[in-house]
Order: sequence, then C-alpha cells, then structure tokens
Amino acid sequence: MEPDVKLRSLSDAAALIKDGSRIHFGGMAVHNHPMAFVRELIRQGTKDLTVVSHVSANDVDMLIGAGRVRRLEFSYVGLEEFGTAPCFRRAVESAQIELSEYSEPVAFERFACSARGMPFFTTREMFGTDLPRVNPDIREISDPFGSGTYHAVSAAEPEWVVIHAPMADKYGNVLFFPNRQLPEDLDLTASRTTKNLIVTVEQIVPHDRVWQLPYLNLIPRFRPTAVVELPFGAHPCSCLHVYNQDREHLGHYAKVGRDPHTFEEYLETYVYGAGDHDSYLHLIGEARLAGLRHAGGELQ
Amino acid sequence: MTTPATAYEVMAVTIARELHDRELWFLGMSTGPQTILLLTRLPIVAMELAQRTHAPNSWMLVAGWIMNPVVAKAPNRMESEFGNALGEWPCEAYNNSLTMSYIAARHEIDVGFGSAAQVDKYGNCNTVAIGPYERPKVRLVGPINQPGHFSLFGREIVIMPHEKRNFVDRVDFVSGAGYLGGPDERESVGLHRGGPCMILTDKAVFTFDKQTRLATLASIHPGITLDDVVANTGFSHDYVPPRVGQTPEPTEDELNLIRNVVDPDGVMLPR
Repeated sequence: MEPDVKLRSLSDAAALIKDGSRIHFGGMAVHNHPMAFVRELIRQGTKDLTVVSHVSANDVDMLIGAGRVRRLEFSYVGLEEFGTAPCFRRAVESAQIELSEYSEPVAFERFACSARGMPFFTTREMFGTDLPRVNPDIREISDPFGSGTYHAVSAAEPEWVVIHAPMADKYGNVLFFPNRQLPEDLDLTASRTTKNLIVTVEQIVPHDRVWQLPYLNLIPRFRPTAVVELPFGAHPCSCLHVYNQDREHLGHYAKVGRDPHTFEEYLETYVYGAGDHDSYLHLIGEARLAGLRHAGGELQ
Repeated sequence: MTTPATAYEVMAVTIARELHDRELWFLGMSTGPQTILLLTRLPIVAMELAQRTHAPNSWMLVAGWIMNPVVAKAPNRMESEFGNALGEWPCEAYNNSLTMSYIAARHEIDVGFGSAAQVDKYGNCNTVAIGPYERPKVRLVGPINQPGHFSLFGREIVIMPHEKRNFVDRVDFVSGAGYLGGPDERESVGLHRGGPCMILTDKAVFTFDKQTRLATLASIHPGITLDDVVANTGFSHDYVPPRVGQTPEPTEDELNLIRNVVDPDGVMLPR
C-alpha cells in the first residue's frame, strides 16, 4: 500500500497556520530561513502570531514589519554584517510587540527540551543580567539535590514548526547533507518538537533516493504534516550547501526596512506584487540566482 | 626595519599577550561591519599569533564550530558566523552541533571576546537596549551569547570602539554581567568566577581594580595622548591613575608573524 503523499502547494501549506498560532521558523542568522513560506503567510494575511525563535533575521523582521507578530520569544534579531533588523527595531522602540528574551544557548535549549519531552531547562548563565528582571518567564528554582539556585525556563513548545531543507520525497522523508552546520542541526532539533511540521525543500527527489541514502534521512516521513517544493525557497538567505545568501538583496532590505514607506514598497514589490513564489524568482532573475549557487551543492 | 605597527596590530598583540597556553578561547558572532572587524577579525589574528608565539596547546573555537582554522586561508572576511565558504576553511576540527554550549556550561572555556553598544565603569555590557527597556530609544539585537560569556567563561576581553557614548557610568541594560554595582556583587548573585579582565579600544587599555572593581586606565596606545583618551571616554569616575604607561609595542617578530604568516594578504586587519 502506498503511504500518504505529503506534498502540498505553498498556499495550502501556509493556510494550515491560523491567526494566533505559536510558530517557529527554522534557520539561524542569515541562513536557511523558510523565506518563501514567510512571504506567503504575509500574502495570506495571517496575523497575531507568537513567534518562538532563537537567532532570527529578516524572516522574523519582515513578519514584524508587516504587523503580523504579537509576541516574540528570542535571543537575537539582526542581520549580521548588514546591521540591526530594521522593522524589529522600529516595532520595539514603539512598544508594538511583546518580548520574552533569553541568552542564545538557553533559547536553543528550550527547543532541545521540547524535543526530549522535558518541561524546562535549568541554567545559571543569565545570573547577574537584567534578563530575569524584564522577562517573567525566567523563574528561580532550587536544585532538589542541593547544589543551590538556578533559573528555570520553559520548553519552547511550538504549535507549528516550518523549516527549509535541501531535499525530500513526496511522502515527507527529508534528506540533509552530511557535513551540517549549526543552523541545520538546530532545524533538526526543532523538527522533533511537534507533529505539526512543514518542510519546504529545494527539490522533491524520487523515493528511491531515500533508500540509497537512509543515513541522510534525518526527518523520516512519519513526522512532517506537509512538504512543499520551493527552489530558492530560502532566498535572500542562504540554503547551506546549495546556495549562498544574496548579500546585495539583504543589504537592500536592511536599507529600505529603516523607513516604513520604503519597507511598504518592498513588500508591495517582493511579496504582494509577486503573487507567488515563481513570480518572485522571476523578479529576482535567473542569472542572479544562478550566481548564488554553491559549487558542490548540487542536489540529487 | 619594518614599518611602525598600526593600531590594529597593537591591539592584536595586546590580546595575544593576554592569552595563555593550554586554554580554550571562544569567538562568537557580531553585527555590523565595525564590530565584525573589532570583535571577530582582530581576535582571530591575535589567537593565531598567540598560538605561534607561546600557546601551542591552546584551542580556538571560532563561531563555536571551526576549531584552530588557518587564518591565512580564511575564505572570506568572516561576515557571517556560518556559510558555505566557512565550511571549506582548513582547520583542525569542525564541531557543528550544540557541543560548544555544553563545553561552556561546564566552565571549560577560558577566554571570550565581547563588545557592546555600552560598557560601564564596572565592565557591565549592553547589547539589548539604549533607554528604558519597555520603550527604548534604540533597540539593539538582543543578548545573544553575552550572558554566558560573562558568567560561564574564565574571563572576557571586551573590545570597544573608543567613543564617548559607549563608555557610561551605568549601562541601561545588563546583558553581560561585569562587576555589577561594585566589589562582591558578582558573588552575591551567584557568579563565583569569570567576568571582564580588560576593555581594549583603538586608543587604550582599561583593566579592573582588584579592590574597587572600577575600570582603570592601564595603558595608552603609541601615538595617542591622554587628552585624546579623556575626550573620548564617558566615565565620570577617576579612572586615570597617577602614572599611565604606553601599551607595549609589538616586537619585530610579532609584526612579521602578523604581516607575513597569520594575515599575509591583509584580509583580517586593515593595513
């Protein structure tokens, strides 16, 4: 008997996310964010999101700029070499969103807790900082074995996780490259925190590939709710191994994001105007995309 | 005779001399081109210099995952902590998972490097917000790994562009715990080790007084005057001791290593 086919269209997959959802977007810094999915959520008008994250960039910044984020649990929102995240900055400076912030390893460990079925993480690394003063979600706890006081932070517990990965088959087996970097490892951890998992991929490969490379099938098909084929689906972020971040586009984003009017124009051009992912890629241009490809990152 | 040392070379050598053999050093991510130069590229040069002069058993964790890379073979200028090019940087080990967090949590990292929008007279650092937290004048990127640098590591080298507004009496938000409000305060909140050991700038070096825990001017870089330092330092406490020496100049050997071995193409440090 044939297993369930998990392949969905981008619009059908994005429609699974309801207003008010608690959601995690994969990737880290300017790498591997499911950007095509983020753009589709904005097109669909999805709002009042609680985003639970760790190291975010233009993914979360764009959603905030479009007014779709009610609450953000995080450690960093920034654009690395391109500076601060413009919409995040503007929204926080005008008290538009609720924040719950943690140090970076603690933000990572909240996902590891969910993946292990553990309710909370304990740490002393935020001692002395102002984080517990401004974040009521950082609580004190005493070690029952007698080693003293710690901070406890709750598991991430996202309702939805959306990640971007290199390859999957139509049944939802997701293949990774072997020499992974931290953004990919964090995505694997996040993929184990919920059964409501959407994986967008560069390419859908024949099911036979999974049997040839079972050791690269790190998200087996019992897990994803949906897989969506979106070549360059992380653009303008990198998809590690496959293509590099589009530095020109990210630099442009950092600049236009600083002014609400030019940011609106950016959304009009790249999100609303380009009504779907194919039109978006057409707008960016084939030659430009080809120039981002990483040698040795060929799929299949 | 080699040409005189640049400010960056003086800084690199100052850091290298602060690093000891048989230590673990950690270098993290940074935001914006100026910070990437000071907080990422400068310490990388300093770490390899130290390994080549006196610390062969030390171990550098670059961005937590690239270990002991060959700096001269860097594929780019470290604009991002990850990326395809970095995955091909010749190095002694890759460690691509959360292992770095565990090493840190076990207090095994001896030295970290930090920077901030504000540092105060007790070495507290702020990467979160300028102004009131709930409605800041300037919202910054967030705490990232700074809390752990100042609580779990053995010591933190704070590297700052020397501008008046960056040096304040009290940071608006503590994301990296220095000596908090003064002597014994770290201990009183449960921090029994670690903390900042120096503030290094493009003009001078500050260290922390063992008794008062206050930042004190330790040395001024060659070619810089005390007036210049004072004009660009926002601290209001008396941080200038009766005698302030000059930051030691790099030796011929150190300059040769930086210019011909560690960073031969001038990729990391501007020439």
